[in-house]
Amino acid sequence: MKLNFKAHRSLIVRIQEDLRRPHQFAFERVGFVSCRFGVIDHGALVLAHDYHPVADEHYEVDQSVGARFGSAAIRSALEIAISKPVGIFHVHLHDHPGVPRPSSVDSREWAKFVPNFWHVRPELPHGALILSSDRIIGRCWYPGLIRPVAMSRFTVVDSHLTFWRVAR
Amino acid sequence: MSWLARQSFLGPESEFVLRDSHALIAGLGGGGSHVAQQLAHIGVGHFDLCDPGRYEEKNHNRTVGGTHADIRAQSPKVEIAVRMIRAINPKARINVIDDIWQNALPSVRGCDALFGCVDGYTQRDQLETLCRRFLVPYIDIGMDVNDAECGYVLHGQVILSLPGSLCMRCFNFLRPDLLANEAQGYGHAGARPQVIWPNGVLASTAVGLFTQLILPWHNDVPASSLILDYDGNRHTTTLSPRVAALSGVVCPHFGGLDDTGDPFWASPSCRNKAKTI
Repeated sequence: MKLNFKAHRSLIVRIQEDLRRPHQFAFERVGFVSCRFGVIDHGALVLAHDYHPVADEHYEVDQSVGARFGSAAIRSALEIAISKPVGIFHVHLHDHPGVPRPSSVDSREWAKFVPNFWHVRPELPHGALILSSDRIIGRCWYPGLIRPVAMSRFTVVDSHLTFWRVAR
Repeated sequence: MSWLARQSFLGPESEFVLRDSHALIAGLGGGGSHVAQQLAHIGVGHFDLCDPGRYEEKNHNRTVGGTHADIRAQSPKVEIAVRMIRAINPKARINVIDDIWQNALPSVRGCDALFGCVDGYTQRDQLETLCRRFLVPYIDIGMDVNDAECGYVLHGQVILSLPGSLCMRCFNFLRPDLLANEAQGYGHAGARPQVIWPNGVLASTAVGLFTQLILPWHNDVPASSLILDYDGNRHTTTLSPRVAALSGVVCPHFGGLDDTGDPFWASPSCRNKAKTI
């Protein structure tokens, strides 16, 4: 199945700027992107809707990972999905140009918490995104599919329209 | 040498960007047929073509690619466009929608840019609204001929409507009174005059805006939506003074990113009449 991701550049810039802010003790920042959806030919379109940074106090000290957040952060994200019909996508930044790659820790942790969003929005896709300075990749947990699906085409909309494909 | 070598100023990656680009053309008459032809020439790789119409003698003064044989066969307009695109670029992927665009919503949602080459205000309003919802840049073209005291006035417009920016209502192109009149059938005086050369000018400008959108070749690109006024009597196309007058104004008609997505989302089992050839 084809999954395309689309976002307005202003939102992507806002996310990047927030994720670049240093945290008191975490090595990196994380957040959540609420998304809406549309059916397209042979698949679905994931539309980034809004950004929700993880609050400073919701990080936990863990030297083994870039950032670890506690259950309060997940609860906040769940509340977003309860209040609006949106899918929730975890996001963090690999601040370099080019296509970012998820680490084994990324993949492992996503698999642990992303499906939890189906408790509140079982009908919607949820997932995870990694931004670089000029690219995005994403993985989507799609209703009815057991394994996550890599999103394959990304579009950033503004007065300059950019789009690219990521090889699976 | 690539057949696109003479447009290398668009950038070293331009051939690949164009090949991966996905344009939907709603309406394949006088304007849309020009747009299809030019997009094929510049190397656009994916087309969605929507038009339920059959080719008739009355279309023959302005539809690029139409032949006498098409009049006799009453060929679907989409077939004429497919034939033309294929002759220019045999590798183009074409999604044929021999139907109204309203029955091809998955294609509309999935395209990179939508060319509205339709008649009437209501369709334009619907297309722009849909494009805003799915973050699709909308490029509208249209022309008209009005009877004036000293003859006829040819005029038209090209509108670039970008998500998050000014819309056709902001530009006062779509107005409640015009939409209401059209809905009630007022002012309908039969088929409006249409000729090929204004459509060619408007379509070329639209294709230029699209190319600038995906492959800006200079820093001086439109930073937001715009409307270009076409004066077919003086043969000029100029940036409407409405653009400068609205500088800094935030569009009040669309809720920005808050109105995105399908409010009736369901898993993608939707079937349409599209077929990729």
